[in-house]
Amino acid sequence: MTYLLDNLTVKQGSDIHLDGVTLSLPNAGVVTVIGRTLAGKTTLLKVLAGLIAPQSGSLTKDGADLLAIPAWRRRVGMVYQQFVNYPHLSVRDNIVFPLKRSGLKPAAVAEKLSYVTELLGLAPLLDRRPEELSGGQQQRVALARSLVKDTDFLLLDEPLVNLDYKLREQLRDEFRRIFHASENRLVVYSTTEPLEAMIMQGLVLVLHEGEVVQVGDYRDVYRRPANTTAATIFNDPPMNLFGGRIEAGQVKIGDETVLRMPGHFANLSDGKYIFGIRASEAVMGGIITGRVALAEINGSTTVLHLDMPFGNLVLEREGVALHAIGDGVSVTLPPARLFAFDADTRNLVAAPVSD
Amino acid sequence: MYGLTRYKLFFLLPGLLVLLAIILFPLIFTIRVSFSGWDAVRPGLDWIGGVNYGRLLADGRFWQSLSRLGLMAVSAVAIEYVLGFGLALLVWRQIRFRRLVRVLFLIPMMTTPVVMAVIWRTVFHESLGPANDLVTLFGFAPIPWLTNAQWATFVVILVDVWQWTPFMFLLLLAGLLSLPREPLLAAAIDGAGPIRAFWNVTFPAMAPISVGAIIIRLIEASKIMETVYVITSGGPGTSTETSSYYIFIRGLRDFQIGYAAALSITYLVIMIVLLTIIAKLLTKTLIKAEA
Amino acid sequence: MERLYPLLKAAAILLWSAFVVAPFLWALTTSFKTANGVTAGPTYIPFVDYEPSLAAWQGLFGSGGGSIDIASPFVSSTVVTLSASLVSLVLGTLAAYGLSRFSYKAGPVGNNDLTFFFVSQRIMPPVVLAIPFFLMLGWLGLLDTIAGLVIVYVALLLPISVWVMVDFFNSIPRELDETAMIDGCTPFETFWRVILPNSVPGLVVAGIFCIIFGWNDFFFAFTLTFTQTQLLPVAIVSLNSSVTPWWSLSASALISVAPLIVIAFLVERYLDKGSIGGRK
Repeated sequence: MTYLLDNLTVKQGSDIHLDGVTLSLPNAGVVTVIGRTLAGKTTLLKVLAGLIAPQSGSLTKDGADLLAIPAWRRRVGMVYQQFVNYPHLSVRDNIVFPLKRSGLKPAAVAEKLSYVTELLGLAPLLDRRPEELSGGQQQRVALARSLVKDTDFLLLDEPLVNLDYKLREQLRDEFRRIFHASENRLVVYSTTEPLEAMIMQGLVLVLHEGEVVQVGDYRDVYRRPANTTAATIFNDPPMNLFGGRIEAGQVKIGDETVLRMPGHFANLSDGKYIFGIRASEAVMGGIITGRVALAEINGSTTVLHLDMPFGNLVLEREGVALHAIGDGVSVTLPPARLFAFDADTRNLVAAPVSD
Repeated sequence: MYGLTRYKLFFLLPGLLVLLAIILFPLIFTIRVSFSGWDAVRPGLDWIGGVNYGRLLADGRFWQSLSRLGLMAVSAVAIEYVLGFGLALLVWRQIRFRRLVRVLFLIPMMTTPVVMAVIWRTVFHESLGPANDLVTLFGFAPIPWLTNAQWATFVVILVDVWQWTPFMFLLLLAGLLSLPREPLLAAAIDGAGPIRAFWNVTFPAMAPISVGAIIIRLIEASKIMETVYVITSGGPGTSTETSSYYIFIRGLRDFQIGYAAALSITYLVIMIVLLTIIAKLLTKTLIKAEA
Repeated sequence: MERLYPLLKAAAILLWSAFVVAPFLWALTTSFKTANGVTAGPTYIPFVDYEPSLAAWQGLFGSGGGSIDIASPFVSSTVVTLSASLVSLVLGTLAAYGLSRFSYKAGPVGNNDLTFFFVSQRIMPPVVLAIPFFLMLGWLGLLDTIAGLVIVYVALLLPISVWVMVDFFNSIPRELDETAMIDGCTPFETFWRVILPNSVPGLVVAGIFCIIFGWNDFFFAFTLTFTQTQLLPVAIVSLNSSVTPWWSLSASALISVAPLIVIAFLVERYLDKGSIGGRK
């Protein structure tokens, strides 16, 4: 753990973009910053890059103050969600641009160039202008430019969000392969999509309204979201949350729905809780009845928004299923898959036993 | 932070300093001069208090030049707006015409005003110019274009209209071309005729750009003097003399520097106040009407 | 009505176009006249109405007696306009980049106020500045010199270049600057190596505006020069007030607006490509 962020705060007028961010990051590996739009992801990345100066707080690497170093001497690479390349330069000149002042010998430059062009399959495009490339190719050029130089860390700000679905899938895998191949480089990757964080592996940092909600291994954050915010952000569709009670050895959701007490709730005392269940873990068929409010077919799955006695339930089922709005349905909420959060602090108090 | 201040100043400071030195300093200096009796006989910065300002309050020629300027500027800009809008409406749907008309319209606004004024003066020459040739062709008596106060004012306005209607036209055409189509279609579906569609849809949507174009033109028109100087020299008598022209005569002809400075400052203040009021009023009536 | 409308439209456009070109055609035909052709009253068509002569045009280019020297004012105008445009373009582009990319704060004064301060100078009537300019150039010994006019014109044109370039830089995404800095460029190198090469359309537009406004100024050239230095509009206007024959006057007026007409065609092509004021 070598990067220390201590109480970093970024304000613009009365808008708070980062609110006392304190955490430590390793000097290698992949960190995925996940949060909704405007959660402060871009701001955090720009502070790391040296493009935004925080109002207060410190950023150090092995004890050395990083904030004193301007962006142009900080040894970072950054890839934006917009495809940013130098419009007046060819792909080749774009890629070697960061090496211009490094004092490298032409042979060394050529070697680095051929390494990254091969890595990203850009060899046939070297003489073109960025505007002649497709979005995916432009983003590859941007990544090549940030990989060509020796950097301490590499920042990627939702790099795939403006690409179409197929390209996104392909580049995700490519990116993961590249990121995990570099040993002395910390990759910070921001996204709104939990799936991307799972694919990138490594650490996950959940950011919400400028504050760090949770940091941990991607599997841990998935299995044990620290609170309802993390549970909402790190699940897609967001985790269903309902107010309820534990009473007399039973789980009550809303006023009418009563479920069996699962084993992992054994330590919980009676009282009010917030219960959560993933959309993919609620199942069709059963004794709780409701109506279809909305049905969307989403690739290979169907997402149903259901009006239930205890509120709105989002349920994701495999395959394409046709439901008319207003159809009656019945569902089961498997007690073993329930999360429980404290009703006041909204912190996790019990999670399903992982499999 | 990061020594950014250095770079910030590097970019801004040269231009800012030049502007301060060449514009702001002279302006402040003029204010100071306006409290002095500087003239051809006794040049120098003495202090005579508000004497010059007292004098200008009673200077009928100055106030007449201001109201004359107001009349010229407002009527010229009004005519330019109506003509420019009309022409823009005529061509905005036809790409075929647009390019030819556009280049034809760019030319007047780009050509040197005084040089064109020299040509216009020959056009309106009473016996040798084509203007009266055209008038007599239609069976009217020749018009004393430059020797009659009203006609001379008309000529000055006409020349301004010739030169600056294209400016209105280009701005309003750009505005029309950027209008969303949906509201017009909706109006057509509702059965609105072209005239009602214009008043209910197009005109309100064009209000902001109209206000902008009118204000820019009013600012420019309030400086009218060069064309007057060339075409009528303020005459006959002082009947086409604008404020700028009068100040010029007092300051750089008669060398009553102190008095001319007081006149310029008064003129500048009145102009800024009036233009601000007009801008507010236009914004209120035109843009509010939309809501 | 339906059938009449296109006709009315064509008639209106034709009428306006005739009005636009009329003074040019009149000047053109006058420039080929001799004394007889002018004093006989308004005539229009050469060979039919009057016997054309090239005397006026030959006179302009220095040959023959009674010639009018238009060449040296033309050169002076070109020198003053181009150098003032260049200086104000350099200063204006730097200032505009600063205003577009950094935030300035001095008490209550922020970026918008500074930008407004630059642009608002266009509101100032020339006559207000004429008196102090006259006195100040006098002290500096720069009255009636090219250098004096260049200084004044820089102030006149600076607002234009700042206005156009702030708009232009605002249309370039900031991410481009940020990427350049991350790639090792200082803010100055970012400006020089990345932003400027991508700003050619904006610079062209700003440059054209500066040239038009510089070339067209009459008032300052008129009040701040006397005998040594003469710019084209002043030369032509002074021909106007002396007993210069109309044909020479017309020919020199046409020469003076010719570069602007060329620019008008260039601007139109630019407008057509839709690249004015923004990146493609």
